Amino acid sequence: MLANNTRNAFVAVSKRPYICQSCLRRAKQLSLASARLPTRSPARSLQTASQPPAQDDTPFRKALKDAAKQQKKASKGGKKSKKAIDPRLEKWELTVGIEIHAELNTARKLFSGAATSVSESPNTHASLFDTAFPGSQPHFQKETLLPALRAALAFDCTIQPRSSFDRKHYFYQDQPNGYQITQYYEPFATDGHVTLYAHDFPAGSAPEDCPIKIGIKQVQMEQDTAKTVQQPPSTHLLDFNRVSHPLIEIITLPHIHDPLVAAACVRKIQTILRTVNACTAGMEMGGLRADVNVSIRERGQTLSEGGLSYSGVTGLGQRTEIKNLASVKAVEDAIIAERDRQIELLESGGSVEGETRGWTVGSKTTKRLRGKEGEIDYRYMPDPDISPVFIAQDLVNHLRKNLPVLPDRIVDVLVEKYGLSTKDAGTLLSFDNGDRLEYFFEVTNQLARARNIRSSDPEFSALGKAVGNWVLMELGSLYKDEEWSATRVSPEVLVSIVDQLLQKRITSRSAKRLLAVKFEGEERHVERLIEDFNMVFRPLSPTEYRGFAQTLLDEKPDMVRDIVEKGQEKKIKWFVGQMMARSPEGTVEADVAEQTIKELLPKAKTAE
Amino acid sequence: MSLLKHAKQYLANQSKYAHLNAFVSLAEPSKLLSRGETSTSDHVKTRFHDVTDKPIAIKDNICTKDLKTTASTGILKGFTSPYDATVVKLLQDAGAVVAGKTNMDEFGMGSHSTHSHAGPVKMYRHTADEEKSAGGSSGGSALAVASAQCWAALGTDTGGSVRLPAAYTGVVGFKPSYGLLSRWGVVAYANSLDTVGILGKNVGDVGAVFDKLNAYDPQDPTSLPPSTRARLEKDSTRSSTPLRIGIPLDYNITTLQPAVRQAWLRTLRFLWEQGHSLHPVRLPATQHALSAYYILAPAEASSNLAKYDGVRYGSRAEGIDGTPESVLFAKTRGQGFGPEVQRRILLGAFTLSAQAIDNYFIQAQKVRRVVQQDFNNVFSTQNPLVEGTSESAEEVDKVDVIVCPTAPTPAPSLANVKDQDPISAYMNDVFTVPASLAGLPAISIPVQITPEDQTAEHADYAFDESVGIQVIGQYGDDKLVLEVADAVAKVAPTCQAQAGPTVTSWGASTLEENNSTV
Repeated sequence: MLANNTRNAFVAVSKRPYICQSCLRRAKQLSLASARLPTRSPARSLQTASQPPAQDDTPFRKALKDAAKQQKKASKGGKKSKKAIDPRLEKWELTVGIEIHAELNTARKLFSGAATSVSESPNTHASLFDTAFPGSQPHFQKETLLPALRAALAFDCTIQPRSSFDRKHYFYQDQPNGYQITQYYEPFATDGHVTLYAHDFPAGSAPEDCPIKIGIKQVQMEQDTAKTVQQPPSTHLLDFNRVSHPLIEIITLPHIHDPLVAAACVRKIQTILRTVNACTAGMEMGGLRADVNVSIRERGQTLSEGGLSYSGVTGLGQRTEIKNLASVKAVEDAIIAERDRQIELLESGGSVEGETRGWTVGSKTTKRLRGKEGEIDYRYMPDPDISPVFIAQDLVNHLRKNLPVLPDRIVDVLVEKYGLSTKDAGTLLSFDNGDRLEYFFEVTNQLARARNIRSSDPEFSALGKAVGNWVLMELGSLYKDEEWSATRVSPEVLVSIVDQLLQKRITSRSAKRLLAVKFEGEERHVERLIEDFNMVFRPLSPTEYRGFAQTLLDEKPDMVRDIVEKGQEKKIKWFVGQMMARSPEGTVEADVAEQTIKELLPKAKTAE
Repeated sequence: MSLLKHAKQYLANQSKYAHLNAFVSLAEPSKLLSRGETSTSDHVKTRFHDVTDKPIAIKDNICTKDLKTTASTGILKGFTSPYDATVVKLLQDAGAVVAGKTNMDEFGMGSHSTHSHAGPVKMYRHTADEEKSAGGSSGGSALAVASAQCWAALGTDTGGSVRLPAAYTGVVGFKPSYGLLSRWGVVAYANSLDTVGILGKNVGDVGAVFDKLNAYDPQDPTSLPPSTRARLEKDSTRSSTPLRIGIPLDYNITTLQPAVRQAWLRTLRFLWEQGHSLHPVRLPATQHALSAYYILAPAEASSNLAKYDGVRYGSRAEGIDGTPESVLFAKTRGQGFGPEVQRRILLGAFTLSAQAIDNYFIQAQKVRRVVQQDFNNVFSTQNPLVEGTSESAEEVDKVDVIVCPTAPTPAPSLANVKDQDPISAYMNDVFTVPASLAGLPAISIPVQITPEDQTAEHADYAFDESVGIQVIGQYGDDKLVLEVADAVAKVAPTCQAQAGPTVTSWGASTLEENNSTV
């Protein structure tokens, strides 16, 4: 029942009428070709609203894998490396706040009726106001509020009944009006939070104090800027399609004290935005950009004097801001680099200056962009042309009621109902924009129907666990170097393979082989293949097992001696493998074979 | 006189008064004449206050597809808008002909129409050396009407930019309630104050144009929605005679010129004789209104003008602009804006800056609110945009409209204006700014000065001289304001008021060859 709801929520959301379906399709297509993303200005350093592209296009999955690999490497290096914490970190505490800018999934722009676009020909989706023609005025598209509200609700924010738009002034050629329309004085959502559980961290790296709750100060709506394409040495091409694309800016409180937590926080926010269908693209596609505020202070000392306060969090050290971080890895690395820079500075008797800094992927340290005296005074002014936005409580209630199931809730469901481990649930959730999860639900539910098992039956979780294994491990290894597709091995095919396996009509080895041939494009039905490959399981009788096993043991007396006298238990597996290999398909089951071998082995004399 | 004859006369006047520099671009004469030919002569009389086939001049900060829209600024030199402003479209739909685009103070910033990339507007009436201010910033529009170069004109009024030139040139200038006329296609100066205004030789013509333009426009986010318009309509059905006329004592300042004071008194006496009652009222915030205006308007201007960078349209500075570290238009903006515009951008940038916003911009917004409350306290009708009642003063003291001068002086000479420092120039707006801050309907009507009223300066020439008398009403009371204006227009009308294009507002015949002064 619940499973159905979850799936339906996914389906329903993607069918909401105000979402431009072609934009959605474009967004999906683009992920296939993310390497060919048009290059944007790498030199852009002035503003958060128009950032250079994600240079580091590392897909999220890969980032996850890399993180896991690094983790492995670290642990392989022995307990030493894990324990060898930098003594400086014992002394200094890091504090981080994050601002995340995310492109909203809307059909129209924030202040014009022009359609949003991702990869249309340059300057084909720009209205008079988008290009700031004299006499043109903003037309607030109230539909853009819906994904923004869903996002804010997902972060448990208080939705303000009244919010308003302000102009943030700065000059840059990608900003046609000379100001960005944002919500400075009265944002539409405040006081939310995001909670990080162990499953939100790469395997084995979750901090001990999980779950960690990070406050969200506010969520505000604002406009994106134009795209600049530089053609060195002196040509700047401007594409106004992106101007006024709706963004939300999510501002966390300085509640983060670990670069790993910052990375997990960004990843989690990204997942939540995707789940409630608030955003078109993830960070890896430039749909998400982050700025981080970093400061350090000496542990155990209350900075009553000279201590700074940001957003009501007091006693902090002088912070610096690192702008334009375009990937989760960049967030983590930049924070580490900036933390170390500040510690070094303070330990050598210097002081941290309030400044804006930049980070390029692969570098060892952050780079100063401008100091305090170079800070831009944005001259925030309420926009006289845009009336305040009043959000009725019934709309908020309706959206809250129909909010898609959030990742944490899905993880719970996967663990409790579907019998997955928390780790597998998290992995499933993070793969392929939720497509893999949807595939999993589809297969499990079809299989349950086929086997007449209800979701309330205790067998259901065993079913889920089995399917989870196939979807994550077996299909996982097949899709290792390929783009995920839910149709290459359709849910129906997997259902029928797993069903045959569970009925013990085929062995697990046959099932894997079936999956592999279907993956390679075999068109014959699973049933037919079982017949053609002669896979139907004809188990040997116990006597046949014993005879077969004894023959093998007699062939290799030295190996038998190794097992019996030297205790090389692993060599039992070799015999099992031989039994599988030498018997016809679908006759020998590995566990029975192993049991038989063990029984036939002479008892070790010493053991007596 | 037939419509064709009128059309020809307007064209003749356009050449005859070309030296006034009222227009920056003119429509093809054929456009005007072709309309005259297809219409029959009796139309002129039967459709006296009708915009059909009438040539109407458009201030150069209102977008037109057919003619350039430069807002008299260098940075929009040669700019043609890809679309028509809603008000232009409405006029054309009603059958009016765009006569041309009129000169103005750059982006509407000025009180004498001298800060123009196209050169100053100059008002010569009787002698070649009489070089007077036509007022600003819609000086071109006002003077085009005054010199019978068009039937009526559109201007924009941010702090008095329609009413002041109307007063100086001797025509009627109407600023409707904020939000009634669409601003879509009007180049923004200070958008919380900008209002499209109408200039005409009499109240009837102005009312006719107003009726055509008074419509909700979904393109303008500040356009009053139909629901509110319906409410205003219902509220204004009350019987209006006799009226209670308010005399704002705070407007009787020491620098008020005797001629203006006399015209004011004559007007009040006239209204009293018509059976209306007169009541002194206090608008104490008036003295702060001007300061507040000159903080708010430049603040919005500094923001609105940030878009002019020559990147997407408009002119660019010669050569390469910008360095790898800077934006690509620093030089362009430095060269494209005139000194008054630069002054106001800097003022605005300052008052919005983090260090100054609390003491300037925020304070000025508070003053603006107080000015609005001042008006709400004296008007007998409730401001339909304000919720709840403010029964502070007794009902007896409340009035239907306020009648006061439009400007403290008649049209000053340009020589004097040139010597003025900017602050003194800003003083011209002292009576017009309060209504702008409160968004109220206000109209300036010319009242002739009798020879006795004339000061020594004017007595030298025996010619018609008028000053502007302003009628201010409660928000949404535009019809009432026009009605009272019609009464005020009878106090001492100009010769032009009920004449065709053969007479100027100062009583000269446009037919006399030798009347050409230069």
